[in-house]
Amino acid sequence: MASEAELVLGMSTDAWVVSGVSLLYLLGCLWVGMRGGKDASDSAVGYVAGDRAMGPLLMYFVIGATVFSAFSFLATPGLAYTSGAAVFYVIGYGLVGFIPFYFLGPRAARIGREAGYITQAEMVAGECGHRAMAGTMALVSALSFVPYLALQIKGAGLVVERLTEGHVPQWLGGAVCYAVVLAYVLKSGVMGVGWTNVFQGVLMMGLAWAFGLWLPYKLYGGVGPMFERIDEVRPELLSAPGTKSWQWFISAGVISMIGFGCWPHLFMKAFSARDDRTLRRTVVFYPTFMVFLVPIFLIGFAGVLFPTPPPSPEQVLPHMLMSLDLPAVIVGLFCAGALAAGMSTGDAIVHASASILVRDGWITALGRKLTSTQERRWVRVFVVVLMLVSYVLAVFYEGDLVSLLLYAYGPIAQFLPGMLIALCARRRDGVAVHIAMLVGVAACVTLKAMPEWSPWGLHEGIVGLGLNVAVLGVLYAARRGSVLSARS
Amino acid sequence: MFDRRSKVPHVLFALHSALATLCVVGPGYKWWGASARPFVFGLPFSLAWAVGWLISVFVSLLLYERWTRHCEEAERGE
Repeated sequence: MASEAELVLGMSTDAWVVSGVSLLYLLGCLWVGMRGGKDASDSAVGYVAGDRAMGPLLMYFVIGATVFSAFSFLATPGLAYTSGAAVFYVIGYGLVGFIPFYFLGPRAARIGREAGYITQAEMVAGECGHRAMAGTMALVSALSFVPYLALQIKGAGLVVERLTEGHVPQWLGGAVCYAVVLAYVLKSGVMGVGWTNVFQGVLMMGLAWAFGLWLPYKLYGGVGPMFERIDEVRPELLSAPGTKSWQWFISAGVISMIGFGCWPHLFMKAFSARDDRTLRRTVVFYPTFMVFLVPIFLIGFAGVLFPTPPPSPEQVLPHMLMSLDLPAVIVGLFCAGALAAGMSTGDAIVHASASILVRDGWITALGRKLTSTQERRWVRVFVVVLMLVSYVLAVFYEGDLVSLLLYAYGPIAQFLPGMLIALCARRRDGVAVHIAMLVGVAACVTLKAMPEWSPWGLHEGIVGLGLNVAVLGVLYAARRGSVLSARS
Repeated sequence: MFDRRSKVPHVLFALHSALATLCVVGPGYKWWGASARPFVFGLPFSLAWAVGWLISVFVSLLLYERWTRHCEEAERGE
């Protein structure tokens, strides 16, 4: 510890400037986040769903900034750098994965208003008449959210460490950033998350475009000349699926598309929207946020012919910036943008997972009675616990960021049949949905541990979903005469 | 353009969304959008393909939402 403290104190002027700009950004986040929840009520609905009063601007940034994470800012350029056109699957799944929300979102919001639901699992379990399912969904969500949150913390720590030339270690950078997140999530709940996402979304989009256009210009004379050069030297990177197989490309795209629409922290925003029109407009304008991926890709491709390789693919952008002798303020701004990308996702995840554990696990599944004040207090306790667990994982996990994210998608995708049945089906057999979901999740976990068992090398989430649907079909047929729940 | 009871906008939107899924996530990318050449506005065709679908889905959502809103307003007016 002593030696690391000495390193911090012995920082160069540039490292101080980078740290200073990043600290200014963090203070900005703290200020916006702490003020964000001042108009929300003191109830659990106020803390978890913002009193169902989010307008179009807030919803647009909440969804957009939540989706674009440390994965987008670090791992996406890293994937473009190593595997070229394989990275284009990210546009594909993000683009079509959100379309179902145009129909499902308003429907979920209406049911939520009528029945008082504020989380996805609560709605699925309630509509299917099977409370225990909420417990399973809460547990699966929390177990998937922890690596996802760890990914954001790890990303923040990596950026700070790299850009301060190793003076601020990864564990310290991640801890400072997420202490800020913890403060505004505890104080302001979902509205704090919402308003910081507006601030973070504007910052990261602006910086992504600035770096995405400037780096190709600086290194190659423009975007066109950059791709011409890559086409001469590494042509295999520009044709899809790059250096990956089509199996990988389609499999990763399909499971991400399905999982994307099922993520509880995104889906539960349906319960926060002011009205149906707000939800529909969020889906309509969401592709304008997706355009933000284009400069991110350009950054990754700019690194392909860069004279020196980065220490790891995820560090391609910080590596280029550090090698170009840029003013420290510019490097600091990038640092702020990358932190914004990670924190805007991390805050939504930690808030959602704590809400889900209390609301779905404790209240719905276990049937415990809590007053609104108690519920709010316990959500805050779980925010702290989940943050600590994720932080420990982030500091000790040695694998790469993309595989960590793809792991999380598999179990979450198993919610899809239950969600569709809860929202659209007239016959709802909660027991069948629950058993099928458990089979799907078990298949995901098993195949993750034993990847050689996966048929044709498919993503474990797709195999799990196939089994999930098959078991559901068999149980529905076998239990035709049993009691089924139906909303009139 | 369409009567509010018409099913055509729903069908067109569903077909377009299915086609987009096929072309950006499914094998359509492999069949039609995978090559690097020709370059479009300096971007390899494989990237321009994804960006083109992004614009196309945005326009289709915009038109569909406008039509949905028009139907709702007409219903409220009755």
